[in-house]
Amino acid sequence: MISLVLILPVVLCILLFLFKNNTLNSIAVVAYAFVHFILGLSYFIKPDIIQNNQYFCLNAANIVFYLVLSIVFILTALYNIGYSKNLSLKFDRRKMTLYSIMILTFVFSMTGAVLSDNLGLSWIFIEGTTLASAYLIYFDKTKHSIEAAWKYVFICSIGIALAFVGIILLTIAEGSLDSLNYVDLMNSAANFNHFWMNVSFVFILFGIGTKMGLAPVHFWLPDAHAEAPSPISALLSATLLNCAFLIILNVYKIMIAANCIAFARIMLLTMGFLSLFITSVFLYHTNNYKRMLAYSSIENMGILAIAASLGGIAYYALILHLIGHSFAKASFFLTSGNILELFQTKKIKSVHSIISYDKKTAWLWTASFLGICAFPPSVLFVSEFLIVKAFIIQKHFILCALFLFLLTVILFGMGKAVINMVFGEKNKEKEIIVKQNLSKITAIMYLPQFVLLAMTFILGIYIPKVLDVVIRCTIG
Amino acid sequence: MVNGLVILFGLTMLYLSATSRLIAHVKILFVQGLLLFLICALGFNGTSVGTIVFLTFETLFVKAILIPWFLNKVLKKTRSNRDTDANIAHFYCLFISSLILFAGFMFCIADIPSLAMINTFCFGIALSTIIISLWLITIKRNILSNVIEFITMENGIFLLSLSVAKEMPILVNIGVLLDVFIAIYILGLFVSEINSELGDMEIAHLSDLKDCEYND
Repeated sequence: MISLVLILPVVLCILLFLFKNNTLNSIAVVAYAFVHFILGLSYFIKPDIIQNNQYFCLNAANIVFYLVLSIVFILTALYNIGYSKNLSLKFDRRKMTLYSIMILTFVFSMTGAVLSDNLGLSWIFIEGTTLASAYLIYFDKTKHSIEAAWKYVFICSIGIALAFVGIILLTIAEGSLDSLNYVDLMNSAANFNHFWMNVSFVFILFGIGTKMGLAPVHFWLPDAHAEAPSPISALLSATLLNCAFLIILNVYKIMIAANCIAFARIMLLTMGFLSLFITSVFLYHTNNYKRMLAYSSIENMGILAIAASLGGIAYYALILHLIGHSFAKASFFLTSGNILELFQTKKIKSVHSIISYDKKTAWLWTASFLGICAFPPSVLFVSEFLIVKAFIIQKHFILCALFLFLLTVILFGMGKAVINMVFGEKNKEKEIIVKQNLSKITAIMYLPQFVLLAMTFILGIYIPKVLDVVIRCTIG
Repeated sequence: MVNGLVILFGLTMLYLSATSRLIAHVKILFVQGLLLFLICALGFNGTSVGTIVFLTFETLFVKAILIPWFLNKVLKKTRSNRDTDANIAHFYCLFISSLILFAGFMFCIADIPSLAMINTFCFGIALSTIIISLWLITIKRNILSNVIEFITMENGIFLLSLSVAKEMPILVNIGVLLDVFIAIYILGLFVSEINSELGDMEIAHLSDLKDCEYND
């Protein structure tokens, strides 16, 4: 079954390349999304059909990441049906086929990164995600999209190259062991050289942290997320960052096993708080709502890093936060696609009174904001509450106060922009454009966000027992 | 003999810091590829045939021939000649690079127990190559220069992997090769696109995306 998920996109890409048909493009992406999702479900229903192999496995450590990827992908693929219909009015069949091929390649690379049980292989797949997603960011072929894609490829390539240095240093740290398999590394970690482990962790954290969007190596993220087509922004923010985080988490677990936790905690905590600080400062200056969402992704990656560094109850919060952020942020980005279709601008100041033109988009935009900013009953409220609790249990009162202060500043910055966009006064010039574009937003461009938000808010009230068990297994 | 080649490899970075002619940068990449091949070839004793073929392909064919040839084509296509607009004058650039390389040499003679399992000579030079490349990326303003320095950084990482006393897992070698292909991808796709869209290869044109003054 794992082989099927990894081979199918290759077959579909060849088919799409041969036929170059717009309908087939959408069907192929949705079909792959369903097969992807079925593999995730089969882990719970009939685990023996999964058949882990030498390099790839679906286990307790990665199932949450895989399921989040599956769910976000399937809903984004559905949204993409409506979105690509609008795109096909602007671009020819060849370009639309390439768009679908690159989506399949991008998800294939992310799936490989999540499923691989070898650090070297994870690294290769993460590098593959850069190659696939660069074209998608550059899809519009405007001056801005070239700039964003260039920064993305160049900064991430340097970051990933530094992570590679970290892997080489890890092979020095492991001494006589000649493997990069996570299980082997965990089993032998106690004998690793501490000095080389610490140096290796610095390189891997900064390198993969670049891909994850942790400050101070986050510079590509606002540009790339803002310039990519909205379904791609959703995938970048809600799934790609998680894939990078999974690698950091796996190496962090090796650091714990190697008894180097103190150093790793300080590194994660510093980068986490720096991410929150950067977001709180830059969010006020941005005049682009997609950039605003991108900064919010940096903030949430920072929260994940802080939760990982705290340990204990915060580990549980970490996985909850990862799930909640992925769902709410995917919904936020997909809804931003609707707003962009309606208003034909990304400027916050040019978008007013969405509610008087399109109520569904307006409420989805507001609900996504409430979800991402941890308003109860959003699952992010539970996760952030648990992180605060972890701060208090560990008696880090000043850090706790700083954490809450920065979150409040970010909440105010985002809230101001979202409320102005939804309820502000009508602009007569924009009114004509919006009314012309209303027909472009079909039902399929509302439904995925509704499902994502429903999951975000339901998980805040009730966490199914099976999910609870899986989260506990993931955090070990 | 190997140490002499490694020293030569380090010195190529000084030449890279001192010159602004892009064609000279490409020639440096050829020399670095050749030196890496020779460093590998002299350490082939006891290595499996598969690894020898792979390393020869990677160093001699990809690093010494394919990339410089491809870069040369791009230089001709974009009519790029010199990178004159560095943030720092070449003399200071050379001086700082020399200091970094000197620190790398000092590392070579360091007697630290933690360094017992590595070839400190290769390690020190490799590390200084990576740092010099990163430093040059930050000060140069031409996109092609940045790509060339990215490739020299990759060469430094390759040398770093050779400095580890044990044989690297095959995945690590594949990783190095993949990075090289990324460099080609950057060159092939973006450099020509940027050139046709913006007219020249100055980094300054790629600074439109800002938070406060954003235009659609």
